[in-house]
Amino acid sequence: MKMSDDQRGDVLIVRPEGRIDTTTSEELERWVAARLDGGTRRLVVDMSAVDYISSAGLRVFLMTVKKLRGSGGQFVLGGLNTSVRQIFELAGFLSIFAVETDVDRAVARAAGAAGGA
Amino acid sequence: MNPASEGRPGEATLVRNMNSLLEVSKALGAEARLDSLLSVIVNKATEVMEAERSSIFIYDEATETLCLRVSEDLAQGQIRVPLGVGIAGHVARTREPLNVPDAYADPRFSPQFDRDTGFQTRSILCAPALTNAGRLIGVIQVLNKVGRSAFTADDESLLAAFASIAGIALDRARLVEAFLEKEKIESSLRLAHDIQMGMLPKRFPQRPEIDLFATLRPAKSVGGDLYDFRLDGDRLWFVVGDVSGKGVPAALFMAVTKVLFGVSVEVESSPAAAMGRVNRALCRENEHFLFVSAFLGRLDVGTGELEYANAGHNLPYRLASDGSVSTLPASPGLVMGVNEDFVYRTESTRLDPGDGVFLFTDGVTEAIDGKNELFSEARLEAYLGATKGWSPVEVVAGALRALDDFVGAAAQFDDITALSVRYRPD
Repeated sequence: MKMSDDQRGDVLIVRPEGRIDTTTSEELERWVAARLDGGTRRLVVDMSAVDYISSAGLRVFLMTVKKLRGSGGQFVLGGLNTSVRQIFELAGFLSIFAVETDVDRAVARAAGAAGGA
Repeated sequence: MNPASEGRPGEATLVRNMNSLLEVSKALGAEARLDSLLSVIVNKATEVMEAERSSIFIYDEATETLCLRVSEDLAQGQIRVPLGVGIAGHVARTREPLNVPDAYADPRFSPQFDRDTGFQTRSILCAPALTNAGRLIGVIQVLNKVGRSAFTADDESLLAAFASIAGIALDRARLVEAFLEKEKIESSLRLAHDIQMGMLPKRFPQRPEIDLFATLRPAKSVGGDLYDFRLDGDRLWFVVGDVSGKGVPAALFMAVTKVLFGVSVEVESSPAAAMGRVNRALCRENEHFLFVSAFLGRLDVGTGELEYANAGHNLPYRLASDGSVSTLPASPGLVMGVNEDFVYRTESTRLDPGDGVFLFTDGVTEAIDGKNELFSEARLEAYLGATKGWSPVEVVAGALRALDDFVGAAAQFDDITALSVRYRPD
């Protein structure tokens, strides 16, 4: 899995690419944990290049949202394709995560500006 | 001996050194365990180098620090030195030997060790221990040349040679330890797997009105699928679940979940209430953010009434007696272990005589073939559509066969679980 990030204002956008499964989710977990340790409090994950996520990947996001909410931060997902969105929906996670259709909306929501829902 | 060489003072030393190194490599070759090897290295370094003391620092790549592992009079593992700090830290950074004739005149020298131990350091010779591939394993340091004020240039090349032999021996010992550690982990995984499989009921309920069969095929790395069932008077409870992640934590979480289901269906009156009880218990002690998806059903074997609750699990299929296949309509709910206040819903349908249900985990639909393609709901539905009149054991066994045909030689990544019930009153 490829990973990159991009700072937009005080929002950090993390962009994983490919499959987030048991193996790659560990990489994602370390990547995100390092950013949170580095002081990131507003985090957007750009999911537009992710074509599959397993429960191990969902667990990383769950951990992230609990940590960020615990410290007054923001965590928003954006750009999920139909099949990835279905995985979130199936697990009931659309009620747990802030999800926006695209990354710009996700960034606006994480920044605290008038975003989507 | 060639008489011509007698006049060259370096020659005798060289031969003696060569012999010492041969001795050292023999001694190191005989010792494969890391701790013993470290003691041998320190003792041999003191002996061969004719020093008063020796010590060895092991390099920790993750933290970029040196850790003092063996020295005659200091507790092991107590002293950590960052790369670049002190004499040893300097050698670790430059990967070059360093000869310090007068320690107290060198600003890199830290007199703290002397203060702590009462030892009086005069001269230091220090060399890096590298692997064949040039990776830093540690640093060997010898103190105070016996009978001389400082170590010589000959000593420098001798310690460099000694350190390179020690580096290779240490690298090998680390490989051996890593291998043994891996063996240990694998045997604990095998144990977790046996515990997991041992918890699954294998004796299926014997009632004329129902026919039930289930199977769980674990992935090589232990996962956390589960199934369970219980006949309680005229009511058949059954559940299929899937814990997030893999390995021992998932297997333990699975075991806890299964036990909780066993208790909850005895004390609660509806699938949603039982689900809620399991969820609250799982939320209480869940520091690792594990979660479990599950589908819990309760079939009244007298009436065919099927009540169920869903916790973020793949929707089961209804296998009608006419051969048609449809998903059981259920709200998604939420996986358990995430939100202790979540309220689950009991939904219901009625099975007609001859109807069945098929429950599964995503190890079925997300199995991958050699071309990275998923088995998918579509293939599962197509398979189930061709099972009209089959018994649950035939449906489940056939599903695994269809999966095997599809996957071919590709590795199994996830646990695969399937459970089927058929309602067949007289």
